[in-house]
Amino acid sequence: MQWWCFAQQEAWTWTWRPLLGVWIGVVLLVLVYRRLVRGACADTESHQTTRWRRVAFGLGVFLLWASLDWPLGPLGAGYLASVHMSQFLAVGVAAPALLLLSLPPKAFDSLLTRPRTLSTFEGITSPLSAFFIFNIGMTVTHWPGVVDSLMPTQFGSFLLDVAWFAGGLIFWWPVIAPVPRRPGFHPLGKIAYLALNAFLIRPPFAMMIFSEHPIYSIYELAPPPGGDALNDQQFAGAIMKIGTAWILFVGVVVVFKRWVHAEKAAERLGA
Amino acid sequence: MSRHSDIIALVTLVGISVAACGVPAEGGNLGQLRGWVMDTPIPKPDLTLTDTNGETFDLRAESDGYLTLVFFGYTYCPDVCPVHMANLGKVFGDLLPEVRDRTKVVFVSTDPERDTPERLRSWLDNFDPAFIGLRGSLDDINAALSSMMLPGVAVIPGEHGSEPLIGHPAAVLAFSPDGLARVRYPFGIRQSDWAHDLPLLVQGF
Repeated sequence: MQWWCFAQQEAWTWTWRPLLGVWIGVVLLVLVYRRLVRGACADTESHQTTRWRRVAFGLGVFLLWASLDWPLGPLGAGYLASVHMSQFLAVGVAAPALLLLSLPPKAFDSLLTRPRTLSTFEGITSPLSAFFIFNIGMTVTHWPGVVDSLMPTQFGSFLLDVAWFAGGLIFWWPVIAPVPRRPGFHPLGKIAYLALNAFLIRPPFAMMIFSEHPIYSIYELAPPPGGDALNDQQFAGAIMKIGTAWILFVGVVVVFKRWVHAEKAAERLGA
Repeated sequence: MSRHSDIIALVTLVGISVAACGVPAEGGNLGQLRGWVMDTPIPKPDLTLTDTNGETFDLRAESDGYLTLVFFGYTYCPDVCPVHMANLGKVFGDLLPEVRDRTKVVFVSTDPERDTPERLRSWLDNFDPAFIGLRGSLDDINAALSSMMLPGVAVIPGEHGSEPLIGHPAAVLAFSPDGLARVRYPFGIRQSDWAHDLPLLVQGF
């Protein structure tokens, strides 16, 4: 029984292989979500909002499951860098945003009753820290030596996925989560934060696009459908850049709409 | 462990054992190479086979004065052969004309029954149309492998009606223009290594 996908360097087969760790992770996520939202949204939010949050949660969980389980999990772990990069978009960028959005504001309140945890969160999820943690994490977890060393083992591959997911949660936290409160982080600041990250050129992207030869040995030496490793790598670089920018652009639109909505609500209250 | 894993392990073991016969390149021009330099150079085998056009191909005569990269494998190979040839083909296509024109890549089929001339040609064309494909009897091929101190072909019957797998050396032998192979390239060699070494190998020693 295999727990997590990893680079096995053996010929690809379309025979279904369950990845038990992914299924357990999904079940745990659902249980944690149910615990967090129990009673947190029914009183204060409309039925429509509650439904929207459930959709966001379902989509976030689906993205995690689909990108980590067979066949995308093993394909990305050991055969195609482009699939690996699509997994990064799902696990490290899109799913964390959806899962944070799926939580009602009251679900974050439990943090307020834990001063030490709140203080740690304040430090880690400040926009500046989140910016550096996400970008350094993204660079390190895509560095050829790190990828080639970690991907051939289940634990190493799991570690990379966890690092992506944790990095994504930290990145989105100051934009989405209402706790810790950051009155100084104006919506315009959030838009600038997202836009900066969308346009930033990170070293792994440059290496993938401009390198003369494949930079990841696991994909270069992968049996078919590995194929042309350099083309695949350049495609992966494009997915990383365009995909991340596109998701962050959606984030910018959501932040802007929420801002306008909040301003209008404030005006109505003032009138 | 799956059968494919077994084969990869076998082929890797062969590759490692083959590589273990040599040492990392040291000294002179050889010292700059990323392949494995052998203690004793191996002469190009006296091997006459049939190419994909059905014509006789005398390895020594046809590749005399060229850098000749010789690899023994088969087109149904699920892992090592397509990877080796794809990486070599990618670099071969990007070589400077003065290096490319002085290099021959020879792929000797270790599965002559299933590797028909048409299939062999079509498979090699995926990597580079200039690659030479050769077929012959397993006895001739095993004799050539033996003369190069490489293990012979091992046919592993397929399980549950599946196609058989063929055990074969995982290393590419690089014969310099003088007809001697001083360097081997085991599985795991990368495109950057080929791009680095081929221009040096063409210059000879």
